[in-house]
Amino acid sequence: MSGTLVYSAGNSLRFSPGNSLPQPKTIRSFNRTARFPTGAPSFRASAQTLNAEPAVMESVRRRASSLYELLKVNETASLTEIKTAYRSLAKVYHPDASESDGRDFMEIHKAYATLSDPTTRAIYDSTLGARRRRVHAGAMGRTGRVYTTTRRWETDQCW
Amino acid sequence: MAEPAYTVASDSENTNEEKSSSSPSLPEIAVGIDIGTSQCSIAVWNGSQVHILRNTRNQKLIKSFVTFKDEVPAGGVSNQLAHEQEMLTGAAIFNMKRLIGRVDTDPVVHASKNLPFLVQTLDIGVRPFIAALVNNAWRSTTPEEVLAIFLVELRLMAETQLKRPVRNVVLTVPVSFSRFQLTRIERACAMAGLHVLRLMPEPTAIALLYAQQQQMATHDNMGSGNERLAVIFNMGAGYCDVAVTATAGGVSQIKSLAGNPIGGEDILQNTIRHIAPPNVEASSLLRVATQDAIHRLSEQDNVQIEVDLGNGNKISKVLDRLEFEEVNQKAFAECERLVVQCLRDAKVEVGDIDDVIMVGGCSYIPKVRNILKNVCKKDEIFKGVNPLEAAVRGAALEGAVTSGIHDPFGSLDLLTIQATALAVGVRANGNNFIPVIPRNTMVPARKDLFFTTVQDNQKEALIIVYEGEGETVEENHLLGYFKIIGIPAAPKGVPEINVCMDIDASNALRVFAAVLMPGSSSPVVPVIEVRMPTVDDGHGWCAQALNVKYGSALDLITLQRKM
Repeated sequence: MSGTLVYSAGNSLRFSPGNSLPQPKTIRSFNRTARFPTGAPSFRASAQTLNAEPAVMESVRRRASSLYELLKVNETASLTEIKTAYRSLAKVYHPDASESDGRDFMEIHKAYATLSDPTTRAIYDSTLGARRRRVHAGAMGRTGRVYTTTRRWETDQCW
Repeated sequence: MAEPAYTVASDSENTNEEKSSSSPSLPEIAVGIDIGTSQCSIAVWNGSQVHILRNTRNQKLIKSFVTFKDEVPAGGVSNQLAHEQEMLTGAAIFNMKRLIGRVDTDPVVHASKNLPFLVQTLDIGVRPFIAALVNNAWRSTTPEEVLAIFLVELRLMAETQLKRPVRNVVLTVPVSFSRFQLTRIERACAMAGLHVLRLMPEPTAIALLYAQQQQMATHDNMGSGNERLAVIFNMGAGYCDVAVTATAGGVSQIKSLAGNPIGGEDILQNTIRHIAPPNVEASSLLRVATQDAIHRLSEQDNVQIEVDLGNGNKISKVLDRLEFEEVNQKAFAECERLVVQCLRDAKVEVGDIDDVIMVGGCSYIPKVRNILKNVCKKDEIFKGVNPLEAAVRGAALEGAVTSGIHDPFGSLDLLTIQATALAVGVRANGNNFIPVIPRNTMVPARKDLFFTTVQDNQKEALIIVYEGEGETVEENHLLGYFKIIGIPAAPKGVPEINVCMDIDASNALRVFAAVLMPGSSSPVVPVIEVRMPTVDDGHGWCAQALNVKYGSALDLITLQRKM
């Protein structure tokens, strides 16, 4: 019952972006307000990051169709390759290194956290395969949506 | 009375001062300051390397104390003490890092009551009363004020040597500091006219220095080289901190942090209690002699302690190393526990550890070194850093990096990916602490949880935010509280109260709360956003007062959401 301590679905969703788990509908519509500052702009970041994100950042998240693509590695990448990719992306997208507000980096980190652990990577790979097949079988017109990895529980959904 | 020699800048300790920079052409390089419990140091990136500044007596390590002997208080930067005991006459305040931001119920404050200056506690959860003995009168002060006086001296010293104004600083802080304590450090800096760019947990400053050394050694800027796993252990006079970090290509990722207010001061007091005969008040002579003996025990197996306490009381004792280790067994066990916990949290295998880095004064104690060697199964301790300078060097590096300084040789192509040292969460399910952002979460972070009401038609709910590791709220640090109002009438368990916490890269915490009803797609009342911490002094009372006033009427429990 409600007395039990159960954390929100965030963790399980993380490993299965775009699968058939119903999204808590109540939260989705916060997307617009989610654009508000993810934190006081760090000392170098200027006020312009409040609502607008630099175009280049936006595209990184939009274009990625899988966690592998987000990290810019092959699906067969070794752990070392994944770590290397993560670190070089960190140097570009970490708020300390860029004007970013941290959302991109949180996304990159999440991808890294999933793929750097053999267990979670295996789970992710299996969902990836399943979704591929489903899409292939003809998920009419909604393919782009199915592939989206940018469903972010802690960011977008947290208004 | 003369005015203290510092200026209080502003009350905006929490706002980001996007001041129009006076010289937009050249970015000011932030200096790094390691404010230790017993010693401080200050360093700056000089364009090619880190340079540690020296005071007029050519010291890199400056004793942290402020004397109130004369009309104008004087800190350890400018003040020349004839001998060690002069610091122990009651006129000097020291160990301020153990007192800052603590309430008078805190055991660490109680442990400070043996010090020669006045630490008075009423044990009700307010700030302790601290005073220095001046002309046979107790002159009251605060840890923030003492720290500010000291920082002003450090700042003047740096400005004289660097021949430019110094405003931006990166400071190192203990891992176990709560966010409330961090605001007290920021307040002290503001009083001293300094603007804090970063407050770095001490071991993460050392991790940054290690990352730079490693990068310089391998000329690897792409992060493609071998990742090195290091355990960083830092124990000074006041605090013990541990971190596990994975480093490659100048990127240091903090995998876990652990810390405790245990340090050389505790070891010193234990040893004094052991040496002093019963009914003899610990005198400053004894303190100095014991400290000296402990230092010598790092090199020798036993030491002779001779102290003439006056009135025919003489201490003459041989203290051997085993005895010393026995006396401080608890403290050493705690060090070991922290290291074990940190390794477990980092989920690393002992065999994968590449380096064990030990810094801080207590890292010289053979027992502590053995603990690290045993737990980490290493024969050697890393020799590449100076145990007493590593933290300030790391802080100076971070100062240069955060100031946006570019180094043509890539020496500043560095990044620390921080993790949260303590969990932040709210009170729910009775008196329990429910973490929203757990400990060792990568920063920046943003997470949320759902809660619901415990009463039918409950219209309001208290969101009480805590930070720490304890399961119940009493064991944790209170950061602030606010009330959500306007929850629509509904049976208990129906309204969904979403609490979201956000920590940005500069470690600022913001808490959001929204009320949702099943079926509605947007919050039914305006979302509340609060920058934490909001508590001020005397916050030990607040939680109890809330409890007395509201009982469980405005409580929350975690909500199990249907999948």
